Parts: sequence; structure tokens; C-alpha cells
Amino acid sequence: MKSEPKKYSVESGDPVGMIAAQSVGEPGTQMILRSFHLAGIESTISTSGLPRIVELVDAKKRPATPITYVYLDEKIARNFDKVEELSRKINEVKMGDIAKRVLENFSKGKIKIVLDVQELESESITQKQVAAKVEKALGLDTKLDGDNGILVNAGTRNLKTIRSTSVKIMRMVVSGIEGAGKATIMQDKKNGEFYIVAAGSNIEGIIGVEGVDKSRIFTNDIFAVYRLFGVEAARNALAYELGKTLKEQKISVEDRHLRLIADAMTAGGSIKGVGRHGLSGEKHSVFARAAYEETLKHLIHAAAFGEVDIMAGVTENILVGKQIPLGTGAVRLAIKKEDLAKIKPVEK
Amino acid sequence: MAKKSGQISYYVYINGRILGKVDKPEEFVAEVRDARRKGLVSGEVNVAYYPNLGVVNINTDRGRLRKPYIIVENGKPKLTADIIAKVKSNELNFNYLLRNSIIEYLDSEEEENALVALYESDITGKTTHLEVDIASIFGFTINTSPYPEHNSLARHAMLANFTKQAEGLYAANFNQRFDSRAYMLFYPQRPIVTTGAYDNVNIKSHPSGQNFVVALSTFYGYNMADAIVLSKGSVDRGVGRSMFYKTYADEERRYPGGQKDKFKLPPPTAEGYMGEHVYSKLSDDGIIEPEMDVIDGEALIGKVAPPRFLEENIGTGGLEEKMRDDSVVLKTGEKGVVDSVIFTESTGATKIVKVRIRSLRIPENGDKFASRHGQKGVTALIVPQEDMPFTADGIVPDLLLNPHSIPTRLTFGHLLEMLGGKAGAVSGKIVDGTAFVEEGTKRIANYGKTLENYGFERLGNETLYDGMTGRPFKAQVFNGVVYYNRLYHMVSNKIQVRSRGKVQILTHQPTEGKARQGALRFGEMERDALIGYGASLLLKERLLDQSDKTTVLICRQCGSIGYYDYIKKVAVCPIDKGSDLVEVDISYAFKVLLDEIRSLHIMPSIKLNE
Repeated sequence: MKSEPKKYSVESGDPVGMIAAQSVGEPGTQMILRSFHLAGIESTISTSGLPRIVELVDAKKRPATPITYVYLDEKIARNFDKVEELSRKINEVKMGDIAKRVLENFSKGKIKIVLDVQELESESITQKQVAAKVEKALGLDTKLDGDNGILVNAGTRNLKTIRSTSVKIMRMVVSGIEGAGKATIMQDKKNGEFYIVAAGSNIEGIIGVEGVDKSRIFTNDIFAVYRLFGVEAARNALAYELGKTLKEQKISVEDRHLRLIADAMTAGGSIKGVGRHGLSGEKHSVFARAAYEETLKHLIHAAAFGEVDIMAGVTENILVGKQIPLGTGAVRLAIKKEDLAKIKPVEK
Repeated sequence: MAKKSGQISYYVYINGRILGKVDKPEEFVAEVRDARRKGLVSGEVNVAYYPNLGVVNINTDRGRLRKPYIIVENGKPKLTADIIAKVKSNELNFNYLLRNSIIEYLDSEEEENALVALYESDITGKTTHLEVDIASIFGFTINTSPYPEHNSLARHAMLANFTKQAEGLYAANFNQRFDSRAYMLFYPQRPIVTTGAYDNVNIKSHPSGQNFVVALSTFYGYNMADAIVLSKGSVDRGVGRSMFYKTYADEERRYPGGQKDKFKLPPPTAEGYMGEHVYSKLSDDGIIEPEMDVIDGEALIGKVAPPRFLEENIGTGGLEEKMRDDSVVLKTGEKGVVDSVIFTESTGATKIVKVRIRSLRIPENGDKFASRHGQKGVTALIVPQEDMPFTADGIVPDLLLNPHSIPTRLTFGHLLEMLGGKAGAVSGKIVDGTAFVEEGTKRIANYGKTLENYGFERLGNETLYDGMTGRPFKAQVFNGVVYYNRLYHMVSNKIQVRSRGKVQILTHQPTEGKARQGALRFGEMERDALIGYGASLLLKERLLDQSDKTTVLICRQCGSIGYYDYIKKVAVCPIDKGSDLVEVDISYAFKVLLDEIRSLHIMPSIKLNE
């Protein structure tokens, strides 16, 4: 009897890549029409379905909806007040979120920021803190103006400079971690533990915050994982995200297909997409590349640099009419029958 | 648009252009409608107001869908029994009703302001209009099908498509017409179950179907999944039989330089002469005679044309003009009888010949039929009459329909038509299947009564006897009469086979399409399947050996393609003039690719590995 792993192991020469591609591609055709969201369950609605698969497989630098799950140290994970305090440290607040408007006085070279008092209160930031932040970040003199205004001296009367300064001010991060996004506190229903869901993917920043469980931080941004934890972690994250997205659509695909795709995409040490600028565009064979996209570009390049096609792939062998080096074509004759007769048995 | 506080004024639009404002829209709209009813403005004017948008729309332009309604005033319809009697006795007509504002037309916008009662008994104080007929809530297409209120809308949409594809008496002068393709049903019948709309639009004078005796029964699995079983006896007696007409035409064209085509028997010297047997049925003028049997590959119209390219044939000076054969040949897979031949002339005074071929289309396996309930089926078996099930009266069904085709499609109208058709057939009366004339249960009761009067079971069930054993079936089988259309999708027009054949000139790959005797494409997905299975040699056979395999000579030294010099009996490499070449099998497509790359002044070379 064959052992379980042996039963499912592939044989030499099995076209695993083709099978993996078809195994994901075929259920993918069913996904197009039924792409709906389960609204309201998560604080942030993330991309799902086919758009998400495309995003992963094309190796997009930033996901459309980055999400980070921040778990906390055992000591504080069940203390709501402390979690809230920590969440405030992470929650990214921009000037645009708390300012009612920014008024530019071009003749005096001054910018007035009118803050929204209610917003300030809910984010527990004071007018003074904001002013200090502006002063520190831009190196400009600031003055408090009334109980909700801040006057910034731009130090020049150049229209362009004033406008660009005011835009900078609006985009400035006032509190929290830049790129962490809006943080929401959630509670695990099973063990009552609190955790934070942030609508950003700056895990490098978040992981530095005191009280964050470094071993359990989790994001859906593959590139963030790659930057912080390296290519193997990115490969696992990629396979996990692919599987999760398919599972959400109630499509069951064997995990090893997904892991193979993730392997192929990360084999070079970085994350490559599968398209023109990734796996297909970097194939060794000239013919295989020319058969896919940008035929002329590849042929011209091959002519200019004298490329040699070693005919090791599938596409190029089909093109010229040779047997493909896969399946039954993967084996070669090691010795000819006539040559076999020449071999003399060793005399004892 | 409307002001939030105080006096609300409504904008008035006429055909989408702003006209002005009114303060009391309801009064204004009522005034317009009153004027229309009095005849002060045209009856084609419709007005609608939208309280939520603060807009009054007056529409007078063309292209609006409008529908007549009986006007109701003070809870009483203006169309009284009196008037109806007068209309019936032809004293009054429909125009009178329109002119005297008994009936008026509403467009879809004005209809939104109306409260329409479906029945006279539904009228309340607020009712403004009454439907002329309850069936008029459906459109024409739905109303021409029987019992439409018992079928699902999706099936109605399918029915509309099948009606277009039905064979029938499409034109009474079909014998004089030279349509490029035409189908004529033998013995077209009027449906036993008709509807008001069907009767009123005169399609009963050129019907497109026949009343089939249908039993709702399986037959050894031959009518699974929308297949149908026909009785050979019925087919032999003319059920679903039709004639297919096809017209071939050609013209004596004129060319620049004074040359022109000529209808005549092409001489064997003509370029592209296809052989004597092709032209054997043409008469002396080069045109085929009527009532001649023809098969594919035989010429119908003999024609010669001037050569395509002007050659300089000075010196030869022959009196004989060079000619090219340009005859019209019957297309592959077709056969028939020459029905009619006409000679005519185009506006450019060139001769035109039209030849109409006719061929009989007896229902065979693969031909398509559909009832008027969106129930289509493909003939899967034609059973000899003696093997068909029969009733105690000796009635053999024309068609056996699988009962599984009814419940999932929700076409209960089909069942009702079977019952209604049966009642109509036994009593010799036309049955009314118009929507909402009666409730379904009442209809069933009425038909049941009729059937019982003639000695049948009231629900249409009968004991059937197996034609092969003569034993009765344990269960009673529901049967009845249904109006079936024969649709023009027939196997004989579509069938095509090839095991070997023509290839394209450019790629040496098999041709594509029925008209070119083409092969079926072994496409990318099929390729993927073979790769996935690992059948590398099968893949090579499909894509190379059975397709565009070519043997080329490749130079061992420089890797370029060479040729064989038959005079010197030696292979030659055109680059290094050597003769060290090997025969290699490659796809012709690859050879073309290499040629094209070479034409760009790039030298591809093939390194051989032995």
C-alpha cells in the first residue's frame, strides 16, 4: 500500500505548472459574475473576488485596500483602556481629517489652519500639539489663533511656495503612524482578546510600537511582508491570500497549486507578476516570449543580440513541431540497442 | 426645481424643452387632458406630471409607445353596453370611440398618472381608466401564444425567437419568388388552440406549424434532455415535411477594356476547366434545365470570364480568345432538383441568370421542433408506427415529449394546450386560449367536460399500449394535441465531415469552415489538455503530423534551409554552397516564420543536435 503523501506526489515530467494554472483559471471564470461583498462584517471592506486575484497575480505594489491586523501583548490584550491608548498611537490622523479649512493669505505670506474642535476632541489631540507638529515638520513659525486656529508664517510671499506649503500641511500626519491608516479596535469573540485592525500596511512602523505582539502582526500587503520579513514570508503570504480569496468565493482549489504559483512568482528572490513584465516576459526562450505578447520587440532584441533558443520549453517546441519535453516526452533514450550489445559482461 | 417653501411652482416641459412654470400643476394637467378630450388639442398629446420632481411633461413627439384605454368618469366607464352593441352592429367604429373620447391613448409617462382598472368590477371612485381587454396588459408577441398567463416570462422570450425560425407558408407567391433561401412547410395547419390576437392579425391565413398528437411519455431514454421522438408513420404521412429552396445567381459582368463575361458552356481550353462531368447537365446555352437532378460539384450556370491578368501574347496571334472558367457550381453537401430558371437583366443592362434549387426536407434525426411555449427539442429517434405506443382507440402519438421538460421550465401552458387541443380536436371546435379569459381550473373543468362527452378521460389521461409487446402501460399517460413549429435548423444543412482534405496555401494547415470543407480546430484549450495529461506524442501528431508537417533540408555548417538540386542530384546550401545537409521535419508555420524573419534581413540559423 502506498503511503498517503506518496499517493499524491507528482511523477517526474508532470506538467505541474500547466495543471496549477488551469486549476485556478477554470474556477476563476465562474467568479466574474458573482462578485459581491459581505458588507459590514469587517470594519474595512477589502477587495475580494477576481479583482483581488488579479491584484495578487499581477504583483501590484500596493493593494487597493491594505489591511493590517495588529495583535497585542498578552498583558494588555484584554484591557480595553490600554488597547485604546495603543490604538491612538497607531491610528493615522492627517491634518485634512481635523482641519475645517486652510486659509492662505498671500499678501502677508501666512497660512491659517482652522481646526475642527470636535474632531480634535475625538482624536484627543490639542491645538498646541498640532502647532508643535507643524513647527517641527516644516520648520516654520506658528502662532495660536483663538481656540481653534493656528497661524503659520510661511516666511515668503511667493504664491507657489505658499500653496505648496498649504498642501503639505493638509497632507501632514498629525498623530499616529504614517501609512498605518485608520485603526479600529475589534474583539475576538472566542477568547475575548482585543486587537486592532488598521486600514493601512505600514507594518514596519506598527511593529515598533510598544505593546504590539511582533509574532502575530499580519497584513494583506504582500510587498510590505516582503520588505519586512523577506521573500519566503512573502511567498507564504501570497499563497495564503490567494487561497483566502478563492475560499471567500466558495471555490476550492488544492493548496499546492497556489503554493506553486506563489513559488514561481517569488523564485527569483523578489515578487514578480505572471504577465508581460513578469514570468511570461522573462522566459528564456525567444519563441515563447514572442508567442505571448510584444512579438516584434522580442524578435528584434533576439536579432540584435544574437539570442539562442535552447528549445527547452513547451511553446517553442510546439511552434517548430518537436515533441514537448514533458510527460512522455520528458524521457530520453539513454543507450541504443546496438550499443547495448557492445557492452561485454565483466568476466569473473 | 421646486421651491422649498411657500408657493411651489412646477416647470412645464414640452418635448423636453422648457416652456414655463405653473403654480397649480394638477389643475393645469387636468385642463390639458380636458382640452384633448374635447378635441381642442390633438389626441396624440400626452401630459404627465411628477409631484416629486416638480415637473410637468407634455409630449407630442413621435416614437412614443401608446396604448388605448377606456375613459372612466365618476366611477363609470364611458364605453357603455349601448355603444358596444352599436359597434358590434357596425353602426359605430373605433374612430368614433376615439373622436368622442370614449377611448383614449396614453403613453408610458401619462400612464403613471392614471389609475387603471383591469376589470369593470374593480372600478372605484379614484379610477381614471379601464383596460380595453385584460389581455392587453401583454404585448402582441405574448398574446399570440396560448395560455400565456401560465408560462414563465423567460419561455415567452424564447418563444418569440422560435416563432421567427418557424417554417410555414411565408408567402403565397413563393413559386414566383427567388429568395436566396426559403423554407416551405407542407400541409401547414391553423392551430386548434388560438388566441384573440392571433385571430386578429391574419396570420391564420399563412400558418407556420401543425397540430401534433403529443403523449407526455419517455421512450427508452431516447427523449432525454430535450430530445423528441417522432412516429415514422406520421413523418411518412407528411408531419413536419418541408421544401428547401435556394437560389444561385450570376451576372455577365463588364470589365474595363471592353471585355465581358459570357454565359456559355466553357470550352475545355478555358483556364480552370473542372472536367467534362461537371458541365454535363448544362444545355447548349450553358444554363441548366428545370427539373434536372443536381448534386454538389455540378455546374448550374456555365460562364466564361476574361483572364484575370492581362498577358502580353504578341506573336501567338491566335484567333481564339483566352478565357477563364467562372461557372456557378452547387455547393458542397447540397443536392436537389432545379426548380426554376429565369433570365433577366440588371439596371446596367447586363444579363442575369437565376437558378432556384429545391430539395425535400423530411424530418430526420437532428431536426429541430418547438411548441408555442418555448419548449424546443431535437429529433433523436423516428420510431416505426408499429413500435409506437397507441391508445385503445388506435391513436398513435406523432411525438413523444419527455415529462421532465415541463416542471423545471414552468411552462404549464404547454399542459393546458395539450388538454385544450385534445378537447378541440374531439369536438371539432377551435379553442380560445387568450390570456385571462377564464381561470386555469375553470378551463380544465370545461375541457374535461368536453372530453367526457366524447368518451375520454376528463384530465386527458389514457391507457397506452406498448407497440412492441401489446401490453398496456401500468400508468396512464397524459396526451393531447399541441401546435408544433418546425424550425429551420436542420442537420442536412449543417452536417459536415472530413478526415483529410484541403489545406491553406500560406500555412499548409487545414482549412476552416463548412464552406471550405474545413477541419475542426484543435485549439489552445485542447492543447492544454494534452500537455496537462503529458501525452507529448499525441500532441505532436495533432499539431504536426496531422497538420502542417514539412521536411526541409538544413545545412549542418551554417544552419540555413537548403534545397535539392534534381539535375545534379545533390542537396545544396544556398549560403556556403556546400552539400552537407540533413532532412529535418518541422512545421510549415515555422518555415514561414523563418522566411519572414529572413525577409527582414535577419539571418536565423538552426543548430542541429544529433
